[in-house]
Amino acid sequence: MAANGKPRSIVNTETFPCVRCGLTVTATAPDGSRRNHCPSCLHSQHVLDRVEGGPSECRSRMIPISIAVLRTGDWMIIHRCTRCGELTSNPICGDDNQLILMRMAVRPLAQPPFPLEAFGDL
Amino acid sequence: MPRKNPARERPQRRKTTHHHGEPADAFRCVGCRLDVPMIAPGTAHRNHCPHCLTSLHVDHRIPGDRRAGCRGRMAALSVTVRPDGEWLIIHHCQSCGELSANRIAGDDNALALLRIAMRPLSDSRLPVNALLAL
Repeated sequence: MAANGKPRSIVNTETFPCVRCGLTVTATAPDGSRRNHCPSCLHSQHVLDRVEGGPSECRSRMIPISIAVLRTGDWMIIHRCTRCGELTSNPICGDDNQLILMRMAVRPLAQPPFPLEAFGDL
Repeated sequence: MPRKNPARERPQRRKTTHHHGEPADAFRCVGCRLDVPMIAPGTAHRNHCPHCLTSLHVDHRIPGDRRAGCRGRMAALSVTVRPDGEWLIIHHCQSCGELSANRIAGDDNALALLRIAMRPLSDSRLPVNALLAL
């Protein structure tokens, strides 16, 4: 028996294919939570409607556009739907591709809209 | 201080919503109480305070439709970049949790923008191992 009282023999082996890279991904993350994006390319699928609530009819690909840091220090991935433009935020998983995470985190600083040299004096 | 990007040729989206009566010429920020003029350099939609980057949740699905019943305060959550190099602020509504992306204006507080952009990199749990593996 596991700690939560459920028999350990029932293992969730549910998988889904990533809509972008085609990787077969287990639906359960290593920490036991339910996965909502591919750990390899971080793309997601628009299946939940945030504004209306409930399932969404869009079902298109959602691309990761930025990293948000909560007050608790946890990282969230902001996804945008390629078809309807809806934005969602999801917590990152332990096995997410760290190179893509870092690339999204530094991308704004690579293309600053103002010269960064002035901040050296502060 | 923000410099103009000559490579940017993306036109602003067409205005499909019409406001009745005279448009207001200023609004007061819900975050820092600054009086903000509606005329903004570089954009026709002033939708956040240039000083503290706070916005107000008034639009529903289409920018400018003023159909959201929420009217909660929207705090700047993160910064993203379009493929053409333009920055967008992701706003997060503090009362209903809705997210929205808004272009930065020419007079936005550069220090506040940079603080948000630096937030993931100043985290101690930074995945440094990914960079060292390169």
